[in-house]
Amino acid sequence: MIDLQKIPVFKLNSLDKSDFMLNQMNELTKLHLKNCDEYSTLMHKLERIKNEYLSLSDVPFIPARLFKHNELMSVQKSDVIKTMTSSGTSGQNVSKIFLDKETSQLQVKVLSKIMGDFVGKKRLPMLIIDTKSIISNRSKFSARTAGVLGFSMFGRQVEFALNDDMTFNFKRVKDFIDKHKTENILIFGFTFIIWQHFVNELEKLGKKLNLSKAVLLHGGGWKQLENKSVDNIEFKKRIFKVSEISRIHNYYGMVEQTGSIFIECEYGFFHSPSFSDLIIRNHKTHSPEENGVEGLIQLLSVIPKSYPGHSILTEDLGIIHGEDDCKCKRMGKYFKVHGRIQSAEIRGCSDTYSS
Amino acid sequence: MEEFRVLKLGVVVIHIPHNIKKKLTFLTGQSDSLADIPVIIYEQSRIKFLSDFSKALLSEQDIRKYPDVATFAFWCRASNLNKIINELDSKNLRVGLGLIYHNSPSNVPVNFAFSLAFGILSGNSSVVRLSSKESESAQFIINVLNRLLADPKYNEIKKIIVIIKFNHDDEVNNFWMSISDGRVIWGGDETVAKMRTYPCKPRAREVVFPDRFSLCAIKAIKIVESNDDDLNKLCASLFNDIYIMDQNACSSPQLFNWVGNAANIKKAKDILWPLFLEYVNSKHSLEPIQYMNKYVDACKSAINNDNVLNIKHKDNLLFNIELSHFHEEQHNQRGYSGTIHEISIESLTELSTIINDRYQTMTYFGFEVEELKSFIISSKLRGIDRVVPIGKSLDMSVIWDGYDIINHLSRTVDVY
Repeated sequence: MIDLQKIPVFKLNSLDKSDFMLNQMNELTKLHLKNCDEYSTLMHKLERIKNEYLSLSDVPFIPARLFKHNELMSVQKSDVIKTMTSSGTSGQNVSKIFLDKETSQLQVKVLSKIMGDFVGKKRLPMLIIDTKSIISNRSKFSARTAGVLGFSMFGRQVEFALNDDMTFNFKRVKDFIDKHKTENILIFGFTFIIWQHFVNELEKLGKKLNLSKAVLLHGGGWKQLENKSVDNIEFKKRIFKVSEISRIHNYYGMVEQTGSIFIECEYGFFHSPSFSDLIIRNHKTHSPEENGVEGLIQLLSVIPKSYPGHSILTEDLGIIHGEDDCKCKRMGKYFKVHGRIQSAEIRGCSDTYSS
Repeated sequence: MEEFRVLKLGVVVIHIPHNIKKKLTFLTGQSDSLADIPVIIYEQSRIKFLSDFSKALLSEQDIRKYPDVATFAFWCRASNLNKIINELDSKNLRVGLGLIYHNSPSNVPVNFAFSLAFGILSGNSSVVRLSSKESESAQFIINVLNRLLADPKYNEIKKIIVIIKFNHDDEVNNFWMSISDGRVIWGGDETVAKMRTYPCKPRAREVVFPDRFSLCAIKAIKIVESNDDDLNKLCASLFNDIYIMDQNACSSPQLFNWVGNAANIKKAKDILWPLFLEYVNSKHSLEPIQYMNKYVDACKSAINNDNVLNIKHKDNLLFNIELSHFHEEQHNQRGYSGTIHEISIESLTELSTIINDRYQTMTYFGFEVEELKSFIISSKLRGIDRVVPIGKSLDMSVIWDGYDIINHLSRTVDVY
């Protein structure tokens, strides 16, 4: 196992980073070729087998969507301790990600290094903008459950802001704030839930909270907010108005690479930590794009060992704005995400009945 | 307007009951009635109307934006219709059945117009249900049609065409089926099965278009022997077959059979595919989601099918999936928007092991027509209804899917 303690999370410059990542990617590709038949079959048929990949962009990737269609794992089924699934909108297949003990531990270690950089190493009193019931049913391990459980490890005296029916429990939150008046607080939730059940709810109640000492971390995607024309700037403004929270960080990550998330810095960019990286690729050619050009986001992570998810092509669009020179002083690539590629009308002569 | 009117001898008006009418959206035609007038096939005034329709469509400036509509407009030019009439192999007297109900496909929008034209030419009145899915091509055609029908000289035609939309509904479907003399059902297995649950008149006929699969056969040596000019033409033809409908039509080629010895096949592939990719690149691009879907489908296929040898894609515009042997259900190995499954065979006869009633169109290059006919006859196949040169896979005609549609939608009157 990599000795993560020795690797600083946001201090590797591009040369050291690409050495480290390339080394890891070569190891992991070999590991999955050996241990995952489906992965090996695919790589052989795509004629992507090499003894060594010479650059990060040369490392083969698989489409993230493949995890929705095939049960891909690189360990014995008996070694799987947890199966995570993506939330998936209704009617769609969900991704299935199989974790063994080692990969599961790596997720926690990497996430804690990343979180340490943004919220400090000390555990903070934590408020989760969700219901407690989301974690009580653990057999179904959805992305939402995983998120709440995963992040709540970085807090103490965890409190939930919502009742089971998703209504806002003002009294419980007020008590929590009063109890921790003098401390920094960590708040976590999913972007859309925060908007719907925290911001909108407080606005409707006409009440304000004083959470000026809190740091808010949120993720899960903007799709539902885009429909309401709410962007990141509006989101932050309205949160501040109802709660005086000014330290608000969005994060980008997916169930296929849980742990190695990308957190938005003080200047509005997602940052790639030492343990993960990204490459922007052209739709048509899949060749890497220059910084500043929009394309498909390929994600690389050192975490996935129990399933071949170390290098995946997502269906998200993004732009890399630079590397090692963000004003926030963190090393690594920094980027923005512009949503998903749009589904298109399919032509053909089948299935008129359902339409 | 509740009464049942008899206009003149043999001509009746079908009254559309109020409970049905309120569920329908009329895109053209009268909302309360429909004439039910069987006439002789290829009747002169109807030929004239279709040829005027063709002219009206082709004189629209925007027609360039709709190559599918242009194809339809070219098809119903007077010269083409007259050519069809001249090629009629029977001089029997044929007249329409009466009323034909058409369930048109959602995703080849222009086929509703072909279906309607078949109804008109076969001497029938037509009710055409359009898919609820919006289509610019369909709207374009309907706009021109309505403008034309507003002219009093088409009053008689106007009475025999109703184009509607409605959400599928048992009551509405039962109504149309109970009064129709024939039904034309596009839309694949599911739609055909569903529509067959509605009883129809004892003598009613049906033309149904279930799911089909199409293939292509290329004689490798002929590619090797072709000059640049021929190859360029071939690329343009292949492009039409593959990219115009994103390989989604039933007649779009899926399985490419290279016929010949291994050395020639290798040479032929090395000549054709790079040239073709270059041609496609100069002409066409896909939506980002289409590139992604193709890529994901190819990966799935590689993992799940042991007859996939390798997948080559220089870029995501063209995927070549090489097969080592035929799949048990080869007709289910499909690709879209430029995904070619290809296999090497020594002669066409090897195809007889896979061809079943799913197979519709075989496009070809390098074969003589006689050679193809003798293959069809000697192989005693259950499938393949069309054998046409590469480039013609999407050309709609009155002979389609194994039917002579005009004959099927009319009856022979024996007079002697």
